[in-house]
Amino acid sequence: MKKLAYINDKAYEIKEGETILSFIRRQLGADYVPTLCDAPNLEPFGSCRVCSVEVVRSGNGHPKTVASCHTPIEEGLQIYPDSPAIQTLRRNIIELVLTDHPLDCLTCAANGDCELQTVAAKVGIRQVRYPQGRNHLDRERDDSHPYMTSNLSKCINCYRCVRACDEVQGELVLSMAGRGFDNRIIKSMDTTYAESECVSCGACSQACPTDAISDVFSMAALNATDTVRTVCTYCGVGCNLEVSKRDNQVLSIKAPYDAEVNHGHTCLKGRYAFRFYNHPDRLRSPMIRRNGKLEEASWEEAYDYIATRLSDIKAKHGPDAIGGISSARCTNEENYLMQKFIRAVIGTNNIDGCARVCHAPTALGMQRTFGTGAATNSIEDLKHTECIMLIGANPTAGHPVTGAKIKQQVMKGKTLIVIDPRKIPLTRYAKYHLQLRPGTNVAVLNMMLYYIVSEGLEDKSFIANRTEGYEDFRKHILAQNIDELEAICGVDRKLVREAAIAYASAGAAMSFHGLGVTEHFQGTYGVMLIADLAMITGNIGRKGVGVNPLRGQNNVQGMADMGVQPHLGPGYLDVNDSAVRQLYEDIYGVPVPEAPGLKVPDMLKASREGKLKALWIMGEDVIQTEPNTNNVRTALESLEFFVVQELFHSDTTEYADVILPASSFFEKSGTFTNGERRIQRVNRVIEPLAGTKPDGQIVVDIMNRMGYPQPDYDPAQLLEEEISQVVPFFKGVRWDRLGENGLQWPVAEDGSDTKILHTTTFKIGKGRFHFKEFEESRELLENADQFPLILTTNRGLEHYNSGSMTRRTSNPRILSEDVLLLHPQDARKRNIDDGEIVTLRSPRGSITLRAKISEVVKPGVVSTTFHFPENYVNNITSSVYDADAKCPEYKVVAVDIEKLAVSS
Amino acid sequence: MSKNLSALSGRQGLHNNLFERLGQLSEPTGAPEKEDLQKLADEFLVGSANVYGAATFYDFTRPENKGKKIYVCNGSACLAAGTQDKLRANLSTHFSEEEIGEMCCLGRCHENSAFHYQGHNYSGENMARLEQVIAREPGCDGRDKYRVASRGRAILSGPALTPAACSQVVETLLAQDPENLLASIRTSGLRGRGGAGFPSYFKMDACRKAPGDTKFIVCNADEGDPGSFSDRYLLEQQPLLVLAGLMIAGYVVGAAYGVIYIRAEYPESVDIIEKAVADMKSQGLLGEGIKGSHFNFDIKVIKARGAYICGEETALLASIEGQRPEVRVRPPYPAQSGLFGKPTVVNNVETLANLPYILTQGGEAYAAMGTPKSTGTKLISLDSSFRNPGVYEVSMGTPLSVVIEELGGGFHREVKALHIGGPLGGLVPVQKIPDLTVDFESFAQNGFMLGHASIIGIPEEFPMIAYLEHLFAFTAHESCGKCFPCRLGSVRGQELLHKAQTESYQVDPVLFNDLLTTLEKGSLCALGGGIPLPVRNALQYFAEELSPYFQGSRQAASKPANAI
Ligand SMILES: Cc1cc2nc3c(=O)[nH]c(=O)nc-3n(C[C@H](O)[C@H](O)[C@H](O)COP(=O)(O)O)c2cc1C
Ligand code: SF4
Ligand code: SF4
Ligand code: SF4
Ligand code: SF4
Ligand code: FES
Repeated sequence: MKKLAYINDKAYEIKEGETILSFIRRQLGADYVPTLCDAPNLEPFGSCRVCSVEVVRSGNGHPKTVASCHTPIEEGLQIYPDSPAIQTLRRNIIELVLTDHPLDCLTCAANGDCELQTVAAKVGIRQVRYPQGRNHLDRERDDSHPYMTSNLSKCINCYRCVRACDEVQGELVLSMAGRGFDNRIIKSMDTTYAESECVSCGACSQACPTDAISDVFSMAALNATDTVRTVCTYCGVGCNLEVSKRDNQVLSIKAPYDAEVNHGHTCLKGRYAFRFYNHPDRLRSPMIRRNGKLEEASWEEAYDYIATRLSDIKAKHGPDAIGGISSARCTNEENYLMQKFIRAVIGTNNIDGCARVCHAPTALGMQRTFGTGAATNSIEDLKHTECIMLIGANPTAGHPVTGAKIKQQVMKGKTLIVIDPRKIPLTRYAKYHLQLRPGTNVAVLNMMLYYIVSEGLEDKSFIANRTEGYEDFRKHILAQNIDELEAICGVDRKLVREAAIAYASAGAAMSFHGLGVTEHFQGTYGVMLIADLAMITGNIGRKGVGVNPLRGQNNVQGMADMGVQPHLGPGYLDVNDSAVRQLYEDIYGVPVPEAPGLKVPDMLKASREGKLKALWIMGEDVIQTEPNTNNVRTALESLEFFVVQELFHSDTTEYADVILPASSFFEKSGTFTNGERRIQRVNRVIEPLAGTKPDGQIVVDIMNRMGYPQPDYDPAQLLEEEISQVVPFFKGVRWDRLGENGLQWPVAEDGSDTKILHTTTFKIGKGRFHFKEFEESRELLENADQFPLILTTNRGLEHYNSGSMTRRTSNPRILSEDVLLLHPQDARKRNIDDGEIVTLRSPRGSITLRAKISEVVKPGVVSTTFHFPENYVNNITSSVYDADAKCPEYKVVAVDIEKLAVSS
Repeated sequence: MSKNLSALSGRQGLHNNLFERLGQLSEPTGAPEKEDLQKLADEFLVGSANVYGAATFYDFTRPENKGKKIYVCNGSACLAAGTQDKLRANLSTHFSEEEIGEMCCLGRCHENSAFHYQGHNYSGENMARLEQVIAREPGCDGRDKYRVASRGRAILSGPALTPAACSQVVETLLAQDPENLLASIRTSGLRGRGGAGFPSYFKMDACRKAPGDTKFIVCNADEGDPGSFSDRYLLEQQPLLVLAGLMIAGYVVGAAYGVIYIRAEYPESVDIIEKAVADMKSQGLLGEGIKGSHFNFDIKVIKARGAYICGEETALLASIEGQRPEVRVRPPYPAQSGLFGKPTVVNNVETLANLPYILTQGGEAYAAMGTPKSTGTKLISLDSSFRNPGVYEVSMGTPLSVVIEELGGGFHREVKALHIGGPLGGLVPVQKIPDLTVDFESFAQNGFMLGHASIIGIPEEFPMIAYLEHLFAFTAHESCGKCFPCRLGSVRGQELLHKAQTESYQVDPVLFNDLLTTLEKGSLCALGGGIPLPVRNALQYFAEELSPYFQGSRQAASKPANAI
């Protein structure tokens, strides 16, 4: 039996648990009932009362006025949402609001985009009958911040900003102060945005219905002619953005409320850091090195030159003397084309990508245990999990929207285990913080496994039915020397034991890991042990569990999926397998090479050794991002021919023979795959900046120029005609099917997608346990004597990697330099004061940084970000790599610090 | 009301209570320092804006409170009695204007001239002995006297429950099955005495049935209605009765923790209850496994910091959590999600004080008193307009005139109206007294409200327009400010009535009626929603007196001269 309720005496079906407001909106449209304090991503609050409706309960009782936003629907309820009494009530409430509101709509920055204005017009307010009384029209503006602004004389006290900062961002920067009529919004303890603890996420600005809280771009947005939905390129969360534009200009960015990934939220990078796109520094013409100097050239000249040089080198030294580095910033389609270019046109498997420096160990480690190198679950599972384990990740800075979602859960008391050498902000809310020495993840994870086994907390039926290799694994685990491991990692065994028990005994436990796991000598093993922990406790294949890598760049997942790996082609198919090669050849129409190619570090090494002659990089500043800068410089210097596709000049382009100016993500279409395997459409917002081309088109052009017929860059066509044909888990992916919110792979032929992997079996049948014992990094074995501190690198919220984009926005006004965090004890020992410039030395070299004394790190450990290229942090990082995945060990560098010698 | 803040505050439980800490920080100078607030915020993992925002809400923690030394009552009873101008004048000989603050009702409505000095309340004659008060001379401790009597069975106003009798009650309790006791409460027909008259059984039953191991029972001892001091009477003279009631309710709903939230304006009540709790502890009546049973029960006393709205139950719970005490929407009801997000029942002091009787004598015996719909007895507080001010217990259904004449001894000054049931209660013109009996139904049917049943006499010569302005001013001062109609409407109402008294301005009756309807229908809670009741009563029964202030009747010229 359908349950019914009535709107103006007409019957409609109700949904269990909905409010009267959502019921009416569902039936009669979003604008039917006016509201002011309601917002799609906030809980019902009931302050404005404008949503009031009359209701009559069962039969012909007396009509009662209720606020529809927080009154649950009931069967048989008769609702009169616009009776004369209700219309009067709404008008009278708005009249009261206008008694304390400046009546200067025509000059207001929000004119045309103000909910108060809209509602006032809707309820038909004609005049304010109250005589002039007390008001708050003299409140001062706050323009202290590069992005956030407030003008609280326009505030209507709806609390939407406060609630957004609390319920969405979890930052608790905003509140009301005072009482009653004098209630007013405050930032921290009544200070300015700039002085407050605000992290500039913009949630309050988006939430504010008036001009009271706004941002520096929102006024411009009023002139927009169009909005385009696309996907942020700053991290693997993959937030959807709604970009306002006019005349080929990006005006402002909002977060769509219906986005499944970010539900109306973003971080400051996605929302505000977009002004790099038309920065004067953008490269606008191809450049060719002539007589040692880079000079502007036409595309034709550049292409001809490249085609000739590459063909020569290929003829002289063979295809394997050429390599390509693709980009996790670029679309799936561009990555696909890049690997195709290298494999089918050049004829080598020397194709790799920048994910080598971040999540290659994840792909490999998860492949080995589960058969699939991708997050097993979805971020929305956070709602269903009982325990969150966060290892080597600082999501509130690196993956801010996911960080905010985790925060929402743990603030409310969900168990959080943090395994990290630093006191990351989320440790505030954590039940357990295992503050290990950098580089000892494997030791700690093994201890956890030990306690789970020795306490008998394994999920025996999962192990029996879904895994193999357990008996052997168990023996190794139990044979470990806990005293030794405890000494190695420096974490109290009791704490490790408690955390292990909490993880193992939760009904559903979910792990997240980041570069603090992968960027290590034992990175791949760390990932495998995390997978072992999930398997041994049965935390796989259900809601709220799993192993979930937090992907650094926006398309790390997609880049690997598209075959940007020297041994695996698109769809992770082994190039060594002749059947696989046959599949590729059928589509490409040309033979593909068999021998696995070189990984990025191997390419650089081969170049130094004179074996690799030509290199093509799609959008990476390897000088800045690869470890041990001097080695990288030598490698680039040794190349015969070097092509770079870039947005901006960088340290790396200094070495290029040809620079090809690429278009930013605003200027092209395609798809990105986020950290939860969600393939989302990137839609072109504006035309490519004059003189630039999308990376995909550049690759297509050169393929054609080198004699391979490849149609112009068209993501929809490429998805349909090639990618879905070769990548098994993209079988059902079509541009149109992806819709606004994308699909999570594997996508079946009929277009149905997958939120949770491994629900019944693993891709390799049974999950495989692998034991790996802890091994000390060579970096410390060799250098710890002379360099007693350990440097671990990390990222700040405000900047993206080497900062080439974010530094060209106003973000540096918020975070303007890389600083070195060191523990007070270490500072005292070296007589270093807070704010002092220090020299940081490693066996590779030295750099100078400003010291910040902080207990975020423990004694013996220092940390810094690497967003400001002038610091060349990678001058000092080591050449130790993860043995299997070849990911550099950025997280453990033997260093020492001293006061900067005063030069006279 | 923030779920995150509830949970974060709840992490520390009641032992380390954010609100209590906030209050303590304000004690040295009247308002906390920002550095201390920052530390508190860090300790509780909340935003500095949250603690600052909360501190700026309460009368006795907000920055304006800094440096206040003495507080004058500005409540309705003292206003009607006309004692406070003189008091202020007296005080100003010892204190500067900046040092004199205000408090709303000290529960000394029977003596008036009420003021608060260094943690003690004073009233009546003390005004004349300021030097001794300031010097803290013995015999000058501010203790007051008022009559306490009953008509019919005295279940609340009899001899105080002794420790031994209290112990007996606890034993009886532990021998009872909670389900049976709940059934007995249902049979008793007990309705909440905090004002709304909601059947107590329903809330307790819902909380008992709500999922979860941790539940709370909260005693609402925030008796904020100016003019009422019957809860104060119970807290100070029947503390064990109240605490036993709290424990009984806790036993029934399955709570191991009881909280009693007492208004700061009743410092003596706080002291007495704290001492009573300590005595119960030392007697083994509180703690784990009480008297060898499986019942654990502890009581936390929390001192409020000056905000009428904290009497509203959701604001009260937010207050205990250290949040800004803003009213929140229901559902969820506190019985589903209350203190720290756990199932909670909030009951008034008097409601709880009835439970020992129901426990020991049974629900039927209780239901036998009063009327079928309003069972039991009711405490009534009479202010100084009566010959015998005090607290009286009568069976529900007793004629109001009996209370006034037989117990109160009639009026000692000429009175034109009674304000019954607090600021949100009705204004009863004296000619309506014979129509009313003391029960929820009689008052409601006649267009009034029994509420908490305090009675203030409005003197004949007191201008009704000034009293109405006072009610709007009270609402404006006490409004939590969350909902638009009350935050704005209370101020505009006061402004209109003020302008009408001080300028040649007459209020547009259509506008005024629109304002009242907006408050009535649009407000989130009964503060904004309730204030139109007495105002409409006045417009109806004192139309003539009020007419000069409104357009469309007589001219402004006929306003009393002193008003303009
Ligand atoms: C503005 C306002 C003030 C209130 N003040 C009090 C009060 O001081 N004491 C009280 O017991 N209830 C007060 N209440 C009622 C409480 O919200 C709640 O209904 C009561 O504590 C429930 O207890 P009871 O069921 O025992 O009456 C107030 C309600 C409102 C709307
Ligand atoms: S920008 Fe974000 S963090 Fe800053 S106040 Fe607004 S909601 Fe809070
Ligand atoms: S600043 Fe904006 S969102 Fe915040 S309360 Fe005021 S009007 Fe509402
Ligand atoms: S969280 Fe990541 S994807 Fe979302 S806006 Fe920020 S950087 Fe972009
Ligand atoms: S009616 Fe007044 S006190 Fe009640 S919620 Fe609204 S603003 Fe607050
Ligand atoms: S003591 Fe002053 S009004 Fe009650």
